[in-house]
Amino acid sequence: MLVTVAQLIARRLLAAVPILLVVSALLFCVLRLLPVDPAAMSLPPTATIAQIEAKRREMGLDKPLAEQYLIWLKAAIHGDFGRSIVFGREAGSLVAATLPATIQLAGCAMVIAAVLGVGGGLLLFHLRGTLFESVADFCSILLLSIPEFLWGLILLFVFGVVLRALPFTGEVSPSLPQPHITGFILLDALLIGRFDIFLSACRHLILPAFALGLAFSPAIMRVLRSSLFDVYHEDYIQQARLRGLSERQILLGHALKNAALPTLTLAGVQFGILFSGTLLVEVIYSYPGMGNLMVDAVRNADLPLIQAIGLTYCVVVLFINTLVDSLYLVLNPKLRVR
Amino acid sequence: MAFKLQRRSFLQLAAGTAASIGPLISRASAAASDAATIGWPNDVPSWDPNQRFTPDAQPIYKAVFDQPLDQNPQLKVIPHLIRSWSLAPDALSMTVELRDDVTFHNGDKMTTEDFRYTFLERIKSGIKLDTANSWRKVQDIVIESPTKATMKFSLPDPTAPQWMAFLGSYVVPKKYIESGGLDNFLKKPVGTGPYKLAEYELNSRIVLERNDKYWGPKANVARITIEIIKDPSARVAAIQSGQADFTINVPVREAQRFQSEGNLAAELDPITRVILLNVRADLGFADKNVRLAAHHAIDKAALSKAFYGGAAVPLSVFATPGTPGYLPDFKFPYDPELAKQLLAKSGFSPAKPAKIGFAATNGQFPSDYDIARAIVQMWKKVGIDADLQVIEYAKYFELNRGNKLPEATLYSWDNATGDPEIFLGYMFNPKMPFSPWKDQDIGGKVLALFNVANYDKRIAGYRELERYAVEDGASMPLLQSVITVVHKKNLAYTKYGNGWVLPQTLRWS
Repeated sequence: MLVTVAQLIARRLLAAVPILLVVSALLFCVLRLLPVDPAAMSLPPTATIAQIEAKRREMGLDKPLAEQYLIWLKAAIHGDFGRSIVFGREAGSLVAATLPATIQLAGCAMVIAAVLGVGGGLLLFHLRGTLFESVADFCSILLLSIPEFLWGLILLFVFGVVLRALPFTGEVSPSLPQPHITGFILLDALLIGRFDIFLSACRHLILPAFALGLAFSPAIMRVLRSSLFDVYHEDYIQQARLRGLSERQILLGHALKNAALPTLTLAGVQFGILFSGTLLVEVIYSYPGMGNLMVDAVRNADLPLIQAIGLTYCVVVLFINTLVDSLYLVLNPKLRVR
Repeated sequence: MAFKLQRRSFLQLAAGTAASIGPLISRASAAASDAATIGWPNDVPSWDPNQRFTPDAQPIYKAVFDQPLDQNPQLKVIPHLIRSWSLAPDALSMTVELRDDVTFHNGDKMTTEDFRYTFLERIKSGIKLDTANSWRKVQDIVIESPTKATMKFSLPDPTAPQWMAFLGSYVVPKKYIESGGLDNFLKKPVGTGPYKLAEYELNSRIVLERNDKYWGPKANVARITIEIIKDPSARVAAIQSGQADFTINVPVREAQRFQSEGNLAAELDPITRVILLNVRADLGFADKNVRLAAHHAIDKAALSKAFYGGAAVPLSVFATPGTPGYLPDFKFPYDPELAKQLLAKSGFSPAKPAKIGFAATNGQFPSDYDIARAIVQMWKKVGIDADLQVIEYAKYFELNRGNKLPEATLYSWDNATGDPEIFLGYMFNPKMPFSPWKDQDIGGKVLALFNVANYDKRIAGYRELERYAVEDGASMPLLQSVITVVHKKNLAYTKYGNGWVLPQTLRWS
């Protein structure tokens, strides 16, 4: 099994190279075609027209697009993604500083989405043929129609403003210091043995993670229910019944395992979307992740930073897809044989 | 757009409901007299205060660093690190006398070595600093003693004292930066200001701790936490819920609502920011009659009432009340009948309107797009048909560079100094990228004023030019913008005419 998984990862790595090249070229071209002036944006408002022209030449903006791309690519291969116009720092270091917070948020949100999705899917399936089926169906569609940013606002309103039960700004309480080891605050708090920071970080994570998780759980629910319907038409379910197994044993012991595969595929795809969904949620909750940084970059036409963040999103999605496919191999022996 | 509308409506509902039940819920963490939390709209771009001119970051920099000169709440330039200064009559040199009792947070004494390093040496070293532009005329700084130095300029620099108290002009520690490196300084910035930087999280929070060895008046609040909350609605929620004690730049309607709240105070303070129309001298605006008609047709008081609760002051010149360039006796009236007459002279009427293009941002400053839409309707009534398009602020310079801006563009201009050079002077300087007005008449007059060393003569020149530009239809100032401030009633602050909210002025009562 390990060999098969390793082969898959190797294939994916090889495929990732041309994908990243295409994505980076597309991003580069689209950003350069925008009617914005990175040279003017990188100079103070007191700069003269002549200084802006000189800066444009210095930044290579007067060169053909293909040449500009090749210069950028050469530098990027060496880990230099350019300097942020707004922050004046290496774009790569800014991404590295904010990526862990976003991964942590998206990861927690995915766990919430998976738990709610699987639980909800089982409930929907359980309610099939009953009076409550249409009610549950309606509720799942309602949930599906609420986007993550609206969940963000609803939760902020209810738990932050009205009940004042949970914090909704930042990563940790203002009275506590923020540890810096890995960038993952939950892990860092545990590493330094500060349980108070860990708890505070958990409290700060609840609302944004639920906002994202709630938005992505209905799709999992509905796909799981649909897969269970399909699985229940298989012969082995009938045989299980004939063996005298209870419906609960059949559902959890046999049907769920097989229905989980398409659900897992969906979850993988969803994670990519969820990861990009962090953008608005991070802004609403002032969460110091990459999405928040992206908003700054877009507002200020900070092209090097947009390019670096865009590529990072692409890498994360490729990584998640590879991970899901590997899990698929682990869970489905048939694929390993092939 | 759909997102904004949903979000806005929802937050209004949220805040309204919270307002009604708010008094029933006591805040667990009552405000401590030695700490305060501020909800701030933007992070600092860098901890090198000389690096980027970001107006929103200036109050934060002013907490950690000191400027050579300062401004009082009425915006008069006053001594600070510089005890006294003397600008030569030809404005080619300025002698400064520094205080001798100032130390950096690391204990190093601040001297003219640091002053020279900040305003000359590090600029000449090639580090990318925005101050390299504002101090480009500095040829040398001659140190006469640890507290006395003379700045030598290559060209007259009559606004040097104003720039000593403006964007990016903060004294940084020479020894600390040179020995520890710039990266170390960026991670652990050291200034001479009333607060020390205790903690910093990019795009998240800034924790300041009082500098008990500060040379000037000590800050009242010992610990200030600045939460970076970019979304205006989230700032409303933060102050409403008590997660912030103080915030700025909330929507005007929310500030008005907070004015009737029990435990919160809200203000709409006019500041040195002007909302104006940047116009071209050609295309549909080549005709002066059309330009003047467009200006006369705008009911500025109605715009102020509709979008700023009446707090934004209608302007007739491109300067704000109380600043040196303001002309209190000059009024450019709202007169739609006169506008119609002017248009009629050029053959236009509501039935046969003059057609122009009009650009506005949406969300760059409060109610910008709504103001633009209202102006379109005002113009329509007198016979100007404007085609309104939305542009991103970042595109403005590129469009202007390519001569692609339409006849009029709604714009916002901030000038914390209040000096007319940084209002009309910078805007109409033909060497600068701001105005789409390419006529050399006003541009030439502005360039001449840049070299006038005598303060009174310079100010008189600008006052005359401001009137001229308006009467020529080149300048169309609309409103003095406002800053919205919401805070707990028992947390006071000092108001500055330029909208600064300085952490060191916060005080609990």
